[in-house]
Amino acid sequence: MKKLLTTILSLGVAASAALASSSITAVKVSDVNDASAWAKAKYSSVTLYPQAAIHMNDKNANAANEGNKAKKADVAALYDGKNIALMVKWADGTKNVQALNSSDTYSDGFALQFAGVAKKAGALPYIGMGSDGRPVVVHLQKASSSVYEPNGNKDVSTQLNRQQTGVFGQELAEYDAKVASLAKTDYERVFVGEGFRSLTEIKDGSVQSNASMTHANNTWTATLVRPLSDAYMKSTGTVPVAIAVWDGSKLGRNGLKNLSSWVSVNLDGMKPDAKIVAETTEESKGDAAKGKEAVGANGCVGCHQIETTDAPNLMGPSLTNVGGYSTAAYLRESILKPSAVIVPGYNRNAHANTPWYNIEKGKRVSAMTDFSFLDKKSIEDIVAYLKTLKAEAE
Amino acid sequence: MSKRQLAMVMDLNKCIGCQTCTVACKTQWTNRNGREYMYWNNVETYPGTGYPKNWMELGGGFDAAGDLQPGVIPNLEADYGVPWDYNFESLMGGQSDSNHFHPHVSPTWGPNWDEDQGAGAFPQDNYFFYLPRICNHCTNPGCLSACPRDAIFKREEDGVVLVDLDRCQGYRYCIAGCPYKKIYFNPKISKSEKCILCFPRIEQGLPPACAQQCVGRIRFVGFLDDEESQVHKLVHKYKVAIGLRSDYGTQPNVYYIPPTESPAKFDAEGKIIEGSTRLPIEELEKLFGPAVHDAIKTLKAEMKKRKETGVSELMDLLIAYQHSDMFRLDNNYYQQVAKENKRNPLAPVDTRYIAGKFTKAGGHH
Repeated sequence: MKKLLTTILSLGVAASAALASSSITAVKVSDVNDASAWAKAKYSSVTLYPQAAIHMNDKNANAANEGNKAKKADVAALYDGKNIALMVKWADGTKNVQALNSSDTYSDGFALQFAGVAKKAGALPYIGMGSDGRPVVVHLQKASSSVYEPNGNKDVSTQLNRQQTGVFGQELAEYDAKVASLAKTDYERVFVGEGFRSLTEIKDGSVQSNASMTHANNTWTATLVRPLSDAYMKSTGTVPVAIAVWDGSKLGRNGLKNLSSWVSVNLDGMKPDAKIVAETTEESKGDAAKGKEAVGANGCVGCHQIETTDAPNLMGPSLTNVGGYSTAAYLRESILKPSAVIVPGYNRNAHANTPWYNIEKGKRVSAMTDFSFLDKKSIEDIVAYLKTLKAEAE
Repeated sequence: MSKRQLAMVMDLNKCIGCQTCTVACKTQWTNRNGREYMYWNNVETYPGTGYPKNWMELGGGFDAAGDLQPGVIPNLEADYGVPWDYNFESLMGGQSDSNHFHPHVSPTWGPNWDEDQGAGAFPQDNYFFYLPRICNHCTNPGCLSACPRDAIFKREEDGVVLVDLDRCQGYRYCIAGCPYKKIYFNPKISKSEKCILCFPRIEQGLPPACAQQCVGRIRFVGFLDDEESQVHKLVHKYKVAIGLRSDYGTQPNVYYIPPTESPAKFDAEGKIIEGSTRLPIEELEKLFGPAVHDAIKTLKAEMKKRKETGVSELMDLLIAYQHSDMFRLDNNYYQQVAKENKRNPLAPVDTRYIAGKFTKAGGHH
């Protein structure tokens, strides 16, 4: 098994070398915070696929997002030795900001995910917010209006409604003014996560970052500046990044988003990290048509929705867009070691009779059969087929 | 499932729709911006649209196979109603922006918009009753199951369902997942909030505000496993208190004594039709399931027994003589839990209701 993996890994590196040009080049500048530095930036096109692995329970949102296509984003990067800056531009005809007097409106937004310091060797963290032992850092920015947080510190515990202040007239007016002055206009969050559900906000200021987004000409332009390395991530010459965008007009939030696979950002003038570049750019060499046959023969559709024409299945994650946002390394790993990454997805209690994992000795164990008994070629064929499963671009 | 479950029983025969519970809750807990529109406790007219509008048709809950059902997130203006204020301040202060009394928005909908309308034709067979509703603190909560962030949890010690506001990111799947629509979105802080069963009061020997303030004394509070609690007796011993819409599969822990008493119908001449009853049993069956038949039978039999013999534990219990009998909060138990979790055990501020399975002392003095 170990031997098999090594062979596959070396195969992957060989196959990917020619495609490394699809990575993003981060141009070195003297100060990434200097807006004029972006004139030097080199833009690359990155495709963002509709998240389809899990299906949430909001009826209206599901209807609004049915048949979503992939979006194209233009992505550029700068670095200055200390910080890295990324710019993402994507088309969105409507600017949506969650209203302060509404229960069912949602903001446009974007997030950039970075690979954290891994405690376990292996492929890059799972695209859906990391996996056990392979954490990610996620920077989230949502378009927002003023949010009333009287203590100005995202801490809701000291919130006080104006009617309960016990003051009137001039004093109440002063209270209102204080609340307004402390109202945050920026919905920016940083999280660490080791898998969907585990995302936890970093609130202690240990990540110095700044994200912003502006809407003009039916396009969002979003930027993020963060350190190349800090307590949560250590960068080499290649920084793996994944991009997600939300569309408020389609009630987007959480899993209702478009996301990219891991993309390599190579720091210009530095030695690229061959392993990361290989992993993010690898195209499987298998035979997709044979892979499709193998998927049929192995009964995968019993638990997974594979093509959009298949019936949705609660047992395993839907694979309809898996080729768009997954690396070949992840797909291979999931076939050989289903428990390496378990998409927690729904709360298991939401579908109690179709548990896609069980807890054994405190660890999540996938309900999926271990397919390491398949021969190498079949596995590569399956990976090649799965890589073809993705929505067309808009 | 939690270790113990705190539960509430509401006697619908006695609810007069006075909204004292609603006001008690609202004044206690509208202490944060963005909660203005929320009614953690509401009293609606049944049959009626309810709050939020047509909540029974908005999905959520589980099907027979145990799968969470998709749901709809109600709209603040159309389904909950925008809370409006009046221009008291400018009128009292003599400011000139307006010289007449008016709401700051033109209301289009609100809770109890159809209060007391009910169903049937007046005066022949019209009918309605009041249905007070709080969070059901379900054993199998739809909201908890819907949350993709593990932000909702059920307290081990008493089964109270709470939102961890630190983890909540305002996705609102919980609202779609709750078939009772008793979890709300606070747009000011972009997080979900809900009835907390007044746990800070409970832990200090005070029943939930809605229960203590209830002028009809319709609300009983206690632990289901405490055989001395009236909640246990009503739910398990006499089986006259039944969960609302248990067909949603969430195993609600607020139980209702179904309304058994309703006037007879009138005929075309306005004469009483002897033996008729205005309240169709089908409506009660819809709300409480088939168990409602036995519950009504027991209630009627005990009523008759009490009339004839003067003795009925169940009737005495429903008369609700003493608050201290209706509420058993088990203070010693909460003290123990606090110690085990290395929290500071809080002394009760009111010792009248502190008795319980693990707290024999205390009680009414």
